[in-house]
Amino acid sequence: MITKIANWFDERVGWKAVWETIFLRKIPKVNWLYTLGSATLFTAVNQAVTGILLTIYYVPTPDHAYDSVQYITTQIPMGWLIRGLHHWGASAMVILTVLHMLRVILLGAYKYPREVTWFTGVFLLLVVVGFGFTGYLLPWDQKAYWGSSVGTRIAGSTPVVGDWILRVMRGGPDLSAITLVRFFGVHVWVLPASLILLLGIHMYLVIKIGISAVPKREEE
Amino acid sequence: MSEKERLTRRDFMSIAMWAIGGVIGAAFGIPAVAYIIGPAARKQEDQGWIRLGAASKVELGSPTLFKSKIEKQTGWITNEEELSVYVLTENGRNFTAMSNICTHLGCRVRWIADQEQFFCPCHNAAFAKNGDVVSGPPPRPLDQYQVKEEDGQLFVLGG
Repeated sequence: MITKIANWFDERVGWKAVWETIFLRKIPKVNWLYTLGSATLFTAVNQAVTGILLTIYYVPTPDHAYDSVQYITTQIPMGWLIRGLHHWGASAMVILTVLHMLRVILLGAYKYPREVTWFTGVFLLLVVVGFGFTGYLLPWDQKAYWGSSVGTRIAGSTPVVGDWILRVMRGGPDLSAITLVRFFGVHVWVLPASLILLLGIHMYLVIKIGISAVPKREEE
Repeated sequence: MSEKERLTRRDFMSIAMWAIGGVIGAAFGIPAVAYIIGPAARKQEDQGWIRLGAASKVELGSPTLFKSKIEKQTGWITNEEELSVYVLTENGRNFTAMSNICTHLGCRVRWIADQEQFFCPCHNAAFAKNGDVVSGPPPRPLDQYQVKEEDGQLFVLGG
């Protein structure tokens, strides 16, 4: 029965070929370090799912942000879990992204023909850091406020254009309601859109080119 | 398939993968459902007895509107809301307290004295003095509150 339905769909949409290309593709004999990319992808999915759930209750304004986060954490069933997964998942994602990058550097996977995969990976790292930076402000507690205050000031210490960068980031000279909403907008719209685009290219190339093998000593 | 169906290493890995995937899916899915339906499953807090005002203000045989302030907790916000109640008495001793919320789709009804009817502007519903439906779409009479009189003051039980 299930096979029949599956075949019916396959005849019309050809999903089996897609499935085989993505999940049943041949890979060289590699070690566990080669799973760091998949692990990073898993944390990305975790962040997306829990992040979407958080927006159901979170309100990005100075008079509601803190209270709505407290409400999620203490009043909503499993709210502590959803927020906790997003909070700790964020750190896990940054760590795994960096470890994945180190593996690619140390095992030479960035070389021909995978340079474009590497370029998109560099921008993906920037996106991940951007997620971390903008997300840090959203709980609107003391740590968030002063953390982002210091963070934007560091960006502001850039020579010549520093003050201008600081004003653009904060939406004015001070950390205010404008800062909170623009950080929120960047966190839930701009960065996810960039992530999906870059990740799409990244994964397409990983599948298209195939993953690199563990480097071997040249045999004479 | 020679003797028995042998479970190949590949099949085993495939089954294990689906099983782990299913567990992870459930670990996200079940809390997510609880998280989403949480506020809907919450029981409305009891308002207790709400003071309307002096019973002497009620005109005999004519529904009189009382407005009182109640505090409502929605999520993390405490709001002051206005509760409007029509009180009717025919003898000055027995009181009926009716909600001014139309039983059709929740618009506010008002008493039109010269027509002796409650009127809802949304879909032209009309209710009689005692709250019964006279015309229009409402499925049932106006909701009533439990009411009591104490020391000349009227109270309704909010919930």
